[in-house]
Amino acid sequence: MKRLVFAILGLVLLSPVMAAGCAAPPQPPPGEEVSSCVICHTDKDLLKQTASAPKEEKSEATSGEG
Amino acid sequence: MEVWEKVYLKGTDFLESTHGKVGCVICHGGNSQAEEKELAHQGVVADPSEESCTPCHRDVAELHENSLHATLSGFKTKLEARGANLSEGSALTTALDNHCQQCHTSCGQCHVSRPDEMGGGLVSGHVFRKTPSMQYNCTACHGARVGDEYLGNNEGVPADVHWQKAGMTCAKCHGQELHGTGAVVSHRYANAASPKCEDCHQDVWTETADNPQHRQHLGELDCYVCHAVAYKNCYDCHVGIDDKGLPYFRSEPSEIGFKIGLNPIRSSQRPYKYVVLRHIPVCADTFDYYGSDLLPDFETVSTWKYATPHNIQRHTPQNESCDSCHGNKSLFLTGDDLDPAEREANRGVIVIQAPPSK
Repeated sequence: MKRLVFAILGLVLLSPVMAAGCAAPPQPPPGEEVSSCVICHTDKDLLKQTASAPKEEKSEATSGEG
Repeated sequence: MEVWEKVYLKGTDFLESTHGKVGCVICHGGNSQAEEKELAHQGVVADPSEESCTPCHRDVAELHENSLHATLSGFKTKLEARGANLSEGSALTTALDNHCQQCHTSCGQCHVSRPDEMGGGLVSGHVFRKTPSMQYNCTACHGARVGDEYLGNNEGVPADVHWQKAGMTCAKCHGQELHGTGAVVSHRYANAASPKCEDCHQDVWTETADNPQHRQHLGELDCYVCHAVAYKNCYDCHVGIDDKGLPYFRSEPSEIGFKIGLNPIRSSQRPYKYVVLRHIPVCADTFDYYGSDLLPDFETVSTWKYATPHNIQRHTPQNESCDSCHGNKSLFLTGDDLDPAEREANRGVIVIQAPPSK
């Protein structure tokens, strides 16, 4: 009987989470909060020094409006 | 936009948002603990839309899969109607991959950054914008015709009244349509969620409308026939690959003009006899670089296509008086306006006899 009560209770508690699908956002991996991504991508001066555009060539033969 | 600006997380708005708290590597990959730039960026996916958005935004993502922004089915519909072989590995499929696929857009290229085709770059420091920016997103791609018309960038042609007087951005009219309804549609005017003037102007296009012209022309004229002004027409586009292996296109200079013709897509949704027609850049040898006669049924689809110019005005040259339109042959697309090579393709849309003077 106790197991049945726990099972029903578990289902009741889990159902809102299941219904919401992705209500709880995924959690960052450990250490991510102080990631070097954020440190660099919020430092304007550093980005000015280090950012480089991927080589993106466009044909010089193109003319007219696309 | 400077290179550094494209990846700059301006301010703290993003970092404090739900998406910002998730962390970078969950969506973009890479190594967040590395101190060397190259090492940190190994495996980074700049636009992780497909994999990252769907798990949480499945409802919208699934709609998007069939939307025209994802499928580009409008291109394919018209090419197939012109006899194109779009089977895997065909010459035209290669051409489409080289020249047309870049028009495909992703979640991120509307809601986070500028489209790749326009050089990319975060629009608001990575803040996710529910409504895309008209300037950086919508007109970044839809700029040459619709954007220029709407904003009044065509010399001597006024901006659309919805922009000029009401400041309406694209999303005010184009909402659900952009993600699609889930149904696969053959072209944009087949989309059940496409906006219509009547969605807002409900009382003006009825049998009891105050304006006698509206009652008189009910069902016969598309709104644009009376309320659009001159717009851009494009001609003779040819594509190929240059000496460096880069895709290119060449088209003739566009022309500003206005032509009324017969409705090529008449349906219960768009029952009008007369509509505005825009010349599109395709021609019989557009894809000749990839092989000869790749559009063998070129003459079966008009090159003057149904158009909805985005430069609506209440008062236009053609609605000044009855005779501004009736008897004014220059407004109507006739056989004399056609390139001889396109005469057959446009047989069904030209006006043989313009409505006579009143």
